[in-house]
Amino acid sequence: MGRIVVTGIGVVSALGNSLHENHRGLIAGKNALTRLELFPTKYAETRYFGEVKLTDENLRKELVLTDKGISRTSLLALKAMSEAITHSQLQNSRLESKNTAIIGANTVGGMCHTSEFLHDSTSLDNPSIYISSYDNGSVTRFLQNQFGIKGISNTINTACSSGANAIAYGAELINAGLADRAIVGGVDTLAKFTINGFNSLHILSPEICRPFDNFRQGLNLGEAAAFLVLEKEEDAIGKEIYGLLTGWSNTNDAYHASSISDNGDGPYLAMKRALEMAELQPSGISYVNAHGTATENNDITESRAMMRLFENVPPFSSTKSYIGHTLGAAGAVEAVYSLLSLKHQELYPNLQFEEAIPETGLLPVKQYQRAEVRHVLSNSFGFGGNCSSLIFSAV
Amino acid sequence: MKIYIHNSNCIYPQAAFDKLDEVALNLSENNRLKAIEPTYEGIPKGVLRRMGKAVRIGVGAALPLISDKELVGIILGTANGGMEDCVRFFNQIIDYDEGNLTPTNFVQSTTNAIASQIGLMATNKGHNSTHVHAGLAFENALIDAFIQLRHNPESQYLVGGVDEISDYNYNIDYLGGWNKTEPTLNTELFESKTKGSIAGEGAAMFLASGAENGAQSCITAMETLPSGALEEVAEWQKVFIGKHFSSGQKPDLILTGENGDPRELPFYNAIESLYPNTTFARYKHLTGEFPTANALGLWFANQILERQKVPAVMMKKGRTESIRRILIYNAYHQSQHSLMLLTKV
Repeated sequence: MGRIVVTGIGVVSALGNSLHENHRGLIAGKNALTRLELFPTKYAETRYFGEVKLTDENLRKELVLTDKGISRTSLLALKAMSEAITHSQLQNSRLESKNTAIIGANTVGGMCHTSEFLHDSTSLDNPSIYISSYDNGSVTRFLQNQFGIKGISNTINTACSSGANAIAYGAELINAGLADRAIVGGVDTLAKFTINGFNSLHILSPEICRPFDNFRQGLNLGEAAAFLVLEKEEDAIGKEIYGLLTGWSNTNDAYHASSISDNGDGPYLAMKRALEMAELQPSGISYVNAHGTATENNDITESRAMMRLFENVPPFSSTKSYIGHTLGAAGAVEAVYSLLSLKHQELYPNLQFEEAIPETGLLPVKQYQRAEVRHVLSNSFGFGGNCSSLIFSAV
Repeated sequence: MKIYIHNSNCIYPQAAFDKLDEVALNLSENNRLKAIEPTYEGIPKGVLRRMGKAVRIGVGAALPLISDKELVGIILGTANGGMEDCVRFFNQIIDYDEGNLTPTNFVQSTTNAIASQIGLMATNKGHNSTHVHAGLAFENALIDAFIQLRHNPESQYLVGGVDEISDYNYNIDYLGGWNKTEPTLNTELFESKTKGSIAGEGAAMFLASGAENGAQSCITAMETLPSGALEEVAEWQKVFIGKHFSSGQKPDLILTGENGDPRELPFYNAIESLYPNTTFARYKHLTGEFPTANALGLWFANQILERQKVPAVMMKKGRTESIRRILIYNAYHQSQHSLMLLTKV
């Protein structure tokens, strides 16, 4: 089986509207978590969010789209995917081939447009402009149509691990001979649905989130989109390669609908199986881009799982400390950040961290640093016990 | 591609397969054809009470299949998951002005709640995925199963498709022009000349394995196509058939997802024109239309192979003798197509 390389990456998040801006933000180590400026919710002034400071109109203008019925989720996705395709220098003939797969991930679809969604789901007349844009799959169908992609198309929703699973599925399609290349990624936008959902579970932090800190008080929600172009190594000769995708896994914690088991069985198995697939010993991992949501439950169980797996826990950090938890996008955004870490041989700090959790004593990366980075492990765990890990390796 | 089906189960709007010609069809009401739900003996009452319908029928269809099985993973397709819970949570948001809300509806509404609930009840820590790509959600679950079985060919996965009718997705589909505006009975579905179909729901679950031993049938080929262009779809149908049938050969039965919407009909006519003398059957007057209805299409095909009988109520034309290979074709919203070849083992 040939190797799978990443030839293009694109991202839009609170940290920036392009890969370059995101990279600069990661190096600068300044969080992008703010009060809300664009999205109306009762919590706009009392919680912090990773908001992309582009209105839907700005996005439509930039993307040269006139149809107003395209959801914000689809707009952010198109922006990130266009950047990834540009970086990959994928020719149109290849892009439009039936051997190109497109795999998206999201959890809110077009439900970010709350009042339109509520109208359309409770009326039998006057459809809103978003009538065809609510389901998760609508986002990927829009992208597929924009680029004329003819291969296998899919959308995955495994809650907060969706983005990671979309990447793994794309890689599997290539390995199984069902696609020659795959455009894979995730997106989610801020929505009253998720803001109130996480609030009802009492896991929205009243302060800027502090992953892995002893006094963490929960997560901040964010919105983002990130896409990757996966190709076979032999098809990518002469291209700039960001890294190899060498391992992935999908396991279930099978413990509780919205929290992870004390020992972190799901996270432990996810990391272990990804290592097995990449044929790596735990000691081979140079850096862990942790799930690190900053909830009480996630950070302690993820820490325990890392301590079970690694004799010495490698440098790790949660980049959710910059942009919050972007749900269906998180796995893809963090894959992009992991690839930047590999490409530039550097580690990004875990912001807002002050004091270790006493039980674990684990200290995340606290300063930006240059480092030798060979293999990066990226974790994504979600509701329903869905746990996935990806491993990216230097070429 | 080889996915062996070892067993199947479903919850859907009609009687058991072998009773289909004996009892009157369950009729649609207000253009909705609702699933007949069992008593759910295997689900603790307290858990059952909290489950939304999609979770209930999904888990309910899965449990009898997996109670004594060593599963390696759970792979589902559902376009919408628990829409009812989703809008209930939205109503809480409005009614309490984003105040202190109870999380049950939120947690139940995530599309992965069905697969994760099955994982939880079966304490299954293996691969667990949920595909939500509308009319190809179930087909992607099958592709995922195929991929996973490459790694573990002797093992068994639970694979299925589930969707519910709630008022909310009914309204959204209605406003999108996908449900008929005038009252139409499912028994008159194929005579209807107006656009749209009737809404349906159901859950079909399969035990899938790479092992032939003990299998009922085998999916020997499957392809999907995202396209709204009739010519492109017709050409793709022809190429698919050319790949899997040498000249002079033909499927013993073609089972289609015809749904009474004249806008979808040209895609079905295209495949019929390739085989004017073949036996055709259809099923959406038994299930109604929904994104993962083709999971029931596969369930019907598997039953037909098992029992060597096509219920009269499903027949469109032709007659059946020995049935070894069934071609299943489905079109969803004129834009998502799948072809599947199911072969008797």
